[in-house]
Amino acid sequence: MTVAVPPAGGGGLPGRSSGSGLADVIDTILDKGLVIDAYVRVSLVGIEILTIDVRVVIASVDTYLRFAEAVNRLDLASQKQGLPDLLSSAPQSVARGKTKGVVQGVLEAAGEKLQDIRESYADEPAPRTRRRRREED
Amino acid sequence: MTGSTRQSGTGDRAGAPPRNTGCYVYGILPEDVEISEDAVGVGDPPARVTIVRHGEIGALISDVDVDRPLGRAQDLVAHERLLDEVAAEVPVLPLRFGAVMTTPEAVVEELLAPHHDSFAAALKQMEGRTQYVLKARYAEQPVLLEVLTENAEAKALRERIRQLPEEVTRNERIRLGELITQIIAAKREADTRAVVERFESCTVGTVVRDPSHERDAAHVAFLVENDRAADFERAVGELRSEWGDRVDVRLLGPMAPYDFVTT
Repeated sequence: MTVAVPPAGGGGLPGRSSGSGLADVIDTILDKGLVIDAYVRVSLVGIEILTIDVRVVIASVDTYLRFAEAVNRLDLASQKQGLPDLLSSAPQSVARGKTKGVVQGVLEAAGEKLQDIRESYADEPAPRTRRRRREED
Repeated sequence: MTGSTRQSGTGDRAGAPPRNTGCYVYGILPEDVEISEDAVGVGDPPARVTIVRHGEIGALISDVDVDRPLGRAQDLVAHERLLDEVAAEVPVLPLRFGAVMTTPEAVVEELLAPHHDSFAAALKQMEGRTQYVLKARYAEQPVLLEVLTENAEAKALRERIRQLPEEVTRNERIRLGELITQIIAAKREADTRAVVERFESCTVGTVVRDPSHERDAAHVAFLVENDRAADFERAVGELRSEWGDRVDVRLLGPMAPYDFVTT
C-alpha cells in the first residue's frame, strides 16, 4: 500500500511569503544539519565545495554609516503617511546591497538566477516519497 | 570570480575512463520509505536519487562527479528541495550540504551500520514533526523612526549631522549608526523572546538562530507537530497582522529539521 501524498513545493498557505531565496537556503543547509565527518572519516571524499561563507552579521563602520545615511534621509514630517508604499517596493531576500554580508561572488551571481530555477521547478509534479505499510497484515 | 567550469583535461577520452564518482548523501530516513523515480539531486545534469538501506534506516543518496566542485546555486537548492519535500511526508534527518562518501556500500558500512540505533531513535522522535523557520525583519523606516522617537541622543545626533557639512560629521555619523545598531539589537532580543514565548504552546522545539541581517527582529526555527501545523501557521498570521508594517514576517517551511538534528 502506498500513501497518497499532497503535492509538495509549499503551495497554498494564506499569507505566506512564497519560496525561499538563496540566502535562506544558505542559512539553512550550510551550517545546520548532521555533519557527516563527525561520524565517519574513512571514506569521506574530499570534494571541493565552492567557497561559501555562511553570512554573519558583523556590525561594521559601513553598517553604521549606512544607518546614519538612512536616518538622515528620513523625512520626519511626511513619515506618517505613505510608508507602506515605500516599503513594499523593497526587494525581498536574494540580492542585496554591496555592503551586505559575505556571500561570495559565485553565489551572489548565482542568486539572481535562483528565482528562475525555483520557478522552473515549481511546475514539476512534486511527490517524492511513499511509504510502504509498516506491518504486513 | 566567474562560474566557469572549463575542463582542464585535454579531451583525450580514447580509453573512456570511468567518471570519477562519489556518493552524495542527503539525509537519513526510515527503511520503509520509497522514493519516486523522478527524484533528482545535485549535479549537472541532476543525478537520480536512490535509497540504500540498513536495518530500520536508509540514506538518500545519488552519484556525484567528484571532479567538479559542488556548491552552485542549483546544487544548494536541489539539496534543500529534495529534503524538504521528503520531510513533508516522512521523517528525515538532513545532512549538512556537501557530504560525499566513496560508495553506497561505504554509506551503509560506515554511516548507517555504526549509528543505526541512534539514527533510528532520532527518526522516531521526528515522526510527525517538521521544521519551520520564522524570519522577521524590521522595516527600515519605521524602526529608524522608533529609534529617533525613543532615543534622545540619536535624535540630537541626527539634527547635528543635518546641520553640518558631511565632511565634518563622520564621527557623529559613525556614532549614530552604532547607537542605532545597539538599539535594534536590544529590540531584537526583546522581540525574539516574545516570539519564542508566543509559540511555545503550539511547537515542540525552538532554536534561536543568529541574525542574518542587521535589521532582523527574530530568526527562529521551530519544530512543529504536523497536527498543530495549522494552529502554528494561524499564530504566525496573527503575529504578522499585529506587527503590521513595522516588521516583515516570513515563514519558511515545512522543511527538514535541520536545526534539530545534533551530532
